[in-house]
Amino acid sequence: MLLDLVVVVLMVCGLLLFLATTVGLLRFPDFYTRVHAAGKGDTLSTVLMLGGLIIYLLRDFNGETALTAVKLSLIVFFVFIASPTATHAIIDAGYESKVPYWTRRKGAGAGYDGPERRRQDRQI
Amino acid sequence: MKRLTLIILAACALIMLLAASDLPDWADPASPASSHLSPGFVEQAYEATHTPNVVTAVLADYRGYDTMFETVVVFLAALIIMIILRRTPHRRFCKILPHRPQRQGRDTVLKGAAQLIIPVMQVFALYVLGHGHYSPGGGFQGGVIFGASFILLALCYNLEFTINRFRERIVLLCCAGGALLYAGVGALCLAMGWNFLGYAALAGILGVSEAMARSHGILLVEVGVGITVMAVMVSIYYDLASGGDMREGL
Repeated sequence: MLLDLVVVVLMVCGLLLFLATTVGLLRFPDFYTRVHAAGKGDTLSTVLMLGGLIIYLLRDFNGETALTAVKLSLIVFFVFIASPTATHAIIDAGYESKVPYWTRRKGAGAGYDGPERRRQDRQI
Repeated sequence: MKRLTLIILAACALIMLLAASDLPDWADPASPASSHLSPGFVEQAYEATHTPNVVTAVLADYRGYDTMFETVVVFLAALIIMIILRRTPHRRFCKILPHRPQRQGRDTVLKGAAQLIIPVMQVFALYVLGHGHYSPGGGFQGGVIFGASFILLALCYNLEFTINRFRERIVLLCCAGGALLYAGVGALCLAMGWNFLGYAALAGILGVSEAMARSHGILLVEVGVGITVMAVMVSIYYDLASGGDMREGL
């Protein structure tokens, strides 16, 4: 009974995060913030939902469910590594190719010198 | 020239459409495929080939010709892309592409993630390839995953790093070698006095029953498909990412 409650809480949290991710992806103003929303929310909601499924599976514990649970936890592990890395790579590619960022003032982010500034930062 | 191509294409399409009208209706239970072939495969495939996954048995054994030429088509795709894109570095007009940002110092994050993921991916690809007898999978899927692991390596480090480890010459040898392995198994069966791709002929060589020999034959053929698909993925990526000169690129 308690386990069922945990499963429900995990799944609902995952779904809510997915909703937040989708809203962020659609509503945020520029490339960086959108990818940020997608990367963060997507990872955590996948982990939460798969965690809920693992607990749901392991309520009746036997060899078969344990094997499936191990497979699911492998998926959790790789999503947890791959999704933030992909987000990082996409953001970095956008930064390198000078995708304009959003500011409150109109057009302020358009002509910025992203990579050069970063190189200067590194030298300091 | 373009107009001539269009006319030829339209003629081909017309022939195809005319032929399509002779096909049986969708999901027609009285069509020959549903009334004779499918029940036969479902009932006899396991006894005849010792392969629990009927799809694999049909793909690599009953329709071995089809799959062999699918592999050849994949191989031809790689060859044609190479013919169109590949250039030697010292030719004139080498740099027709706009300047791409050269990424010298690769990202530690990407390197670390690649080191974690790529070995697992490659083991998983071999699992998918070898487990095609029992679950969804097989040569095409396993080969694609294996090829994707090399593409991931090229994306996370750079193209040069990957080419130094998996040279173009070896990639092309793998492309042709996989298809050759497939055809070679068929030719071996022919040499043993059976039909082309009649894997039961291998029973004498492998020292197993005929059904088991068909299972092993399917595995051999799937390995050939896997090698070709893997190498073709890598070859196409090399050509597309470097614009054909194999020197720079993602």
